Amino acid sequence: MNAHQSVGENNKPAYNYAYLDEQTKRMIRRALLKAVAIPGYQVPFGSREMPLARGWGTGGIQVTAAIIGPDDRLKVIDQGADDTTNAVSIRRFFERTADARTTEATDEATIIQTRHRIPEAPLKSGQIMVYQVPQPEPLRKLEPHEAETRKMHAWAEYGLMQVKLYENIARFGEVTTTYDYPVMVNGRYVMAPSPIPKFDNPKMQRSPALQLFGAGREKRIYAVPPHTSVRSLDFEDHPFRIQSWEQPCGLCGAADSYLDEVVIDDQGGRMFVCSDSHHCETRRAEGHRGAMLADASALHLVEDEAKS
Amino acid sequence: MTTMIQVENVAKEFTLHNQGGVRLPVFDNVNFSVAAGEALVLAGASGAGKSSLLRILYGNYRPTSGRIAVTHAGRPIDIVTAVPRTVLDIRRRTLGFVSQFLRVIPRVSALDIVRDPLLARGASAEEASERAKAMLARLNLPPRLWDLAPATFSGGEQQRVNIARSFVDPSPIMLIDEPTASLDAGNRNVVVELIAEARAQGSAIVGIFHDEAVREAVATRYLDITDFRKAA
Amino acid sequence: MNIQVNPQQLALDPASLLSVAGVSRFYGERIGCADVSFDLWPGEVLGIVGESGSGKSTLLRCLAGIDKPDAGEVLFRGGTEPLDIYSVAEQERRRLMRTAWGIVHQNPRDGLRMDVSAGGNVGERLMDNGARHYGKIRETALDWLQRVEIAAGRIDDRPRQFSGGMQQRLQIARVLVSEPRLVFMDEPTGGLDVSVQARLLDLLRVLVRDLGLAAIIVTHDLAVARLLTDRLMVMKDGRVVEQGLTDQVLDDPHHAYTQLLTSAVLTV
Repeated sequence: MNAHQSVGENNKPAYNYAYLDEQTKRMIRRALLKAVAIPGYQVPFGSREMPLARGWGTGGIQVTAAIIGPDDRLKVIDQGADDTTNAVSIRRFFERTADARTTEATDEATIIQTRHRIPEAPLKSGQIMVYQVPQPEPLRKLEPHEAETRKMHAWAEYGLMQVKLYENIARFGEVTTTYDYPVMVNGRYVMAPSPIPKFDNPKMQRSPALQLFGAGREKRIYAVPPHTSVRSLDFEDHPFRIQSWEQPCGLCGAADSYLDEVVIDDQGGRMFVCSDSHHCETRRAEGHRGAMLADASALHLVEDEAKS
Repeated sequence: MTTMIQVENVAKEFTLHNQGGVRLPVFDNVNFSVAAGEALVLAGASGAGKSSLLRILYGNYRPTSGRIAVTHAGRPIDIVTAVPRTVLDIRRRTLGFVSQFLRVIPRVSALDIVRDPLLARGASAEEASERAKAMLARLNLPPRLWDLAPATFSGGEQQRVNIARSFVDPSPIMLIDEPTASLDAGNRNVVVELIAEARAQGSAIVGIFHDEAVREAVATRYLDITDFRKAA
Repeated sequence: MNIQVNPQQLALDPASLLSVAGVSRFYGERIGCADVSFDLWPGEVLGIVGESGSGKSTLLRCLAGIDKPDAGEVLFRGGTEPLDIYSVAEQERRRLMRTAWGIVHQNPRDGLRMDVSAGGNVGERLMDNGARHYGKIRETALDWLQRVEIAAGRIDDRPRQFSGGMQQRLQIARVLVSEPRLVFMDEPTGGLDVSVQARLLDLLRVLVRDLGLAAIIVTHDLAVARLLTDRLMVMKDGRVVEQGLTDQVLDDPHHAYTQLLTSAVLTV
C-alpha cells in the first residue's frame, strides 16, 4: 500500500498525492507559469510547512511536488551525488508520497531535483531541473532592503552587482566567487543560479531543459525556460572563466568534469574525483579508468566494475 | 570721457534690529559720477561713511534708496537692483575692490592668489604666472614667500599680496580702501605708481587714502562725504 | 544720464539649471519649510544658512528629490528638456540622481558603502552607468582619489580604515566621478576638526570652480558659507527671511534674524 493512500481513522487518505493539497499545487503552478513567462524574475509564493526543516530543500520539494505525476522519473542529487543523505531522503519522500519512479541515470530522468550541481551529462529537451535555493536574491548581501532590491530589479539597476565583482578582482586579482555566481537571464534580470559551482553556469546557457528554482524559506520561485540566454556577469577585460583542475578524475579519468577533493587516509593522502557520482560510474562502466581507481578499489572506497 | 559710475540719490541708513531697532543714518541724496581715467578721492572725517559708500559702489552694502549705474561691458547696469549673478559678473570683469585686509584662504599660495584674477579672465597659466611674479617682485615681496600661504605673513606682506592681486590686471573700475595703511614709504610709492598706471590705462578710480601725500599724488578730484550727512 | 537698466536680461540668459517655485513641506501642523522659490544657474553656488530646526535640511531633502514636498515645483534643466523632478517617474529620478546630480551627506557613512573599497566606492557610479571595463574603471577611480588627495595606495582599503576627513573626501570623489551638473551638500564639514575642515573647504572650492558645478550647500557655519558660496538664503522657522549675494547678506544684513546670526560669529 502506498503512503499517500494510507487510510486515516475516518477512511480517508491521510494526505494528498505528492503531499501537497491540490490548491497549494495550483498556487505553485501559477507562480511557476509566471516565472517561466518572465525569465529570471522572482515570483513570491505561499511556501508551505513541509515535513522537514526549511533550509533542507523545502523550496525544491514543493516545486517538484507541484509538477510531478505518475509518469515522471525522478532523480535527486545533492552535491552531485545520488547517495547522500539529503538526496536519499528526498527521493524516498517522493517514492512514498507520489509513487515516484526514481532513477540515478541523468538521461532517464524527467525531473532532476538538485542541490549544488547540474549533472555532467547534457540535459535534454523535455527534462526539468528543479533547484533548491537558499537565497534567491543575488543582490541581498549588497542591499539589505527588499523594497530597494525590487526597485533595482524593476529598473535593471545592476551597477552594484558589478561593484561586488570589482571588489573581488581588486582584492584577489580575479573574481573569487566560485559558486552561486550571478547570471544575467534573457538580457534582463540578474539571477542567483543557486549555490551551484560557477563551473556549471555555462550549462544553463540556452539549455534545452526547463529550469525551475524554489526557495522555501524565502518564499520565491523563479525559472529559466528552455533555450534562454544565461550569461555570467563579468568585465570586458576580466572575462568569466570556469574552474579547471590540473589532474583528471582519479577514478574515471574524466578531464572535463567538476572534481571534488577527497581525503582517503590519515596520512594526508587525497584524490580528486567527479562530484557527479552517476557520471563517474557510467564512465567506469564504459571502461574509463583513472590513475587511482585500483588504490581506491583496494580500500573498498568504490567497486571496480572492471574487476567485479 | 566715458562715464563709468553714475550715482543717483543714494541714501544709506543702518537699522539695528537687535538693539531696539536703532536707526543710524549715514548719508542722504548722494549724487556724483566718475569717468574713465579719473581718480576720485573720498574725503571727510572718520565715521562720515566713506567706507560705506565704497562698499555700496561695490554692491557689498545695499543702499536704502537710490541707483548706481555701473558701465559693464559697454552698458550701464544698476548694481543696486542687479541679481547676484550679474553683480558677480560685474565684479569679475569690471569692478575691483582693494581693501586693507587680505581675506586669507587656507592653503592657497601667495602666487596663486595673485594669478587667480588673470586665470578667471582667461589668461594662460604661463602668462598668469609671469605677470603675477613680476607684480609680487615689484611690490618687494621676497620670492621665498611666493609659494607659501599668506596666513603666516605680516600685515604689510599680506597687504602687498592683496595689492598685487588687485593691480596685476586692473579692472575698468577700481575701488580702493586705505591700501597703504601699513606700508613703508618705498612700497607706498609703488602703490601710487600702480594707481597712476591703472588710470593711464583708462581705469576709473574711487578711493579712500588716509595718507595725505598719497592722496595728493593720486587724486584728480575730491568728494567730501560730510556734505551728504543727513541732517539730524 | 538716462540709465538703461535691465538686469533681468543678463540674469535669464542662459536658462537656469534649477527652478524652485513655492516649495513647502509640512509635518502635520508644523512647518518644515514654506513657500521657497529661487533659481540656480550653472556654476552658481547657493548657501542655505540658519540654525538647527530652521528647515534648511528639510528644504535640501525636498530639492534633492529625497522627500516629496507637499506643494511646489522643482524644475531641472540638466538635460534636453526641463524636468519636473516630482512628476517624472521614480526610475527617471533615480537615474538623474546617479548621473546629473550628486548628494554629499554630512555623515560620510550615509553616502559611502563602508564595506566596499575606496576604488569600488568611486567606481560604483561608473558601473551604474554601464561601465564594464575593470581597467578603465580603476584608472578613473585612481584619478579621482588623487584629485581629492587620497594616496593611490589606499585604493583597495575600505572607508572604515579612513579618518573622518578622508571619508568625506572619498564621498566627494564618489559623487563627482559621474561629472554631475548639480551637487547638494548637507553640512559637508560638520563633525570635522578645524584643520581638516580647512583642507576640505579648499578642495571643494577648487573642484567647484574647475568643474563649473552648480551647488547647494546647507551649513550653519557662516565662514563656510562665505568661502564657498556665491549666494545665500537665510532660513528661520521654515521660511526664507533674507537672500542675496553672500557678502551682501553677511556684511550688510537687513533682517533681524540675520543680524543676530552674523553678530553671533566669533572672529579669530
